[in-house]
Amino acid sequence: MRLRVQYTAQLRTVVGRTEEEIEFPEGSNLAELLVHLASELRREAAPFLLTAGGELQPSLLVALNHGAVSSCNARAVLVNAGDVVTLLPPIAGG
Amino acid sequence: MLPLPELTADERSRYEWQLWVRGFGEEGQRRLKAATVFVSRIGGVGGTVAMQLAAAGVGRLILAHAGDLRLNDLNRQLLMTTDGIGKPRIESAVRRLRELNPYVLVDAIGENVSAANAERLVGSADVVVSAAPLFEERLEMNRQAVRRGVPLVDCAMYELEGRLLTVLPGRTPCLSCLYPEKPPHWKREFPVFGAVASTVGSLAAMEVIKLAAGLGDPPKGRLLNFDLRDLTFTTITVDRRTDCAVCGSR
Ligand SMILES: [Zn+2]
Repeated sequence: MRLRVQYTAQLRTVVGRTEEEIEFPEGSNLAELLVHLASELRREAAPFLLTAGGELQPSLLVALNHGAVSSCNARAVLVNAGDVVTLLPPIAGG
Repeated sequence: MLPLPELTADERSRYEWQLWVRGFGEEGQRRLKAATVFVSRIGGVGGTVAMQLAAAGVGRLILAHAGDLRLNDLNRQLLMTTDGIGKPRIESAVRRLRELNPYVLVDAIGENVSAANAERLVGSADVVVSAAPLFEERLEMNRQAVRRGVPLVDCAMYELEGRLLTVLPGRTPCLSCLYPEKPPHWKREFPVFGAVASTVGSLAAMEVIKLAAGLGDPPKGRLLNFDLRDLTFTTITVDRRTDCAVCGSR
C-alpha cells in the first residue's frame, strides 16, 4: 500500500524534502513505519525518530491524518493506504 | 472578583478601532486593562507578543529576559534598536513599549525563567506566554502554569515554520503531554526570519487577548503548525496523556 510521509522543521532540513509517498506492507503499525523510516532515511535523521537504545523517540510528535499519536500508542495504531503521517520534531525558536 | 476598571476618554480614543470588534467592545477593553500577562523572553517571538499586547492595552505586562543586545539579534527582535547593542535587552524593550503605550504598566525582569523564579512570575499573572529558545524554560513555565491553573500560550518557530499551543490547565493537553521528555536535539541557535517570529508572536498575542477579554474560542487540544514556505496552516489534534508527569493527575 502507499502512504504519504511529511517531514517538518529540523527533520525536513536533514531529510532534504517536505514529503514523499512510500510503499509499505498492509497491516503494519505506526511504530513499524517509524523504525523503517529511521533505517531508510539519511543517518542524521535516525536520532529524531529513535533513541540510542532503538526505542521510539518520546519527544517526536507524530501525527496520523492530523491527529497526534503518542509514542507509547504507536504500536497499537495501524497505518492504512492513503494515510498521511506527519513527523514534527520539537521546536523552541523564540 | 474586583470590578473592572473604567476607561478614560483618552483610552476610548486610543483603542477606538478595536472597540468595533464584534464580541469585544468596551467590556472586552476593560477586561484587558484589568489583566496581567507574563511574557517569558522578549526576542523575535516574545517581543512581538509584548508589542501587540501593549498596543492593545493589556493593563500590566511582566517581561523576563536576561542579557545584552547583540548585533545579530536585530534581524528579528523588533523591540530592540541599533543603539542598544551591548546594553540590556530588557531596557530597550521597556523604553519602546512605553513609547508605544504609556498606559501599560511594564514590570521588567532582567532574568530568564528558572525553577527559582517561575512559580512567582507565573503566579502573578492571569495569562502567561512562553517564548524562550530553550525547552528547559518552556517546560518549567508549563509546569508552573498547570500547577497554578494559569492559562499558557506556548509559541515557537524554526526557519519558516511556527507552532502555537494554548494550554488551559486541567482542560487541554499541556506542553509535557506533547513532549514528555526534554527534547534532546533542539539547538539553542536556529535559522530565523523576523517575519516568521513575528507571525507566531502575533498569533500568540491574539490568543492572549481572546483569553483575557473572553473573546472567541481558544483552540482546545489543537496544535497549530504553519509553514510559510508554502503558506500552509494545519491544526493537529492532541490529547492529554493520562500518564503526563505534569497534568496527568489533575
Ligand atoms: Zn500534560
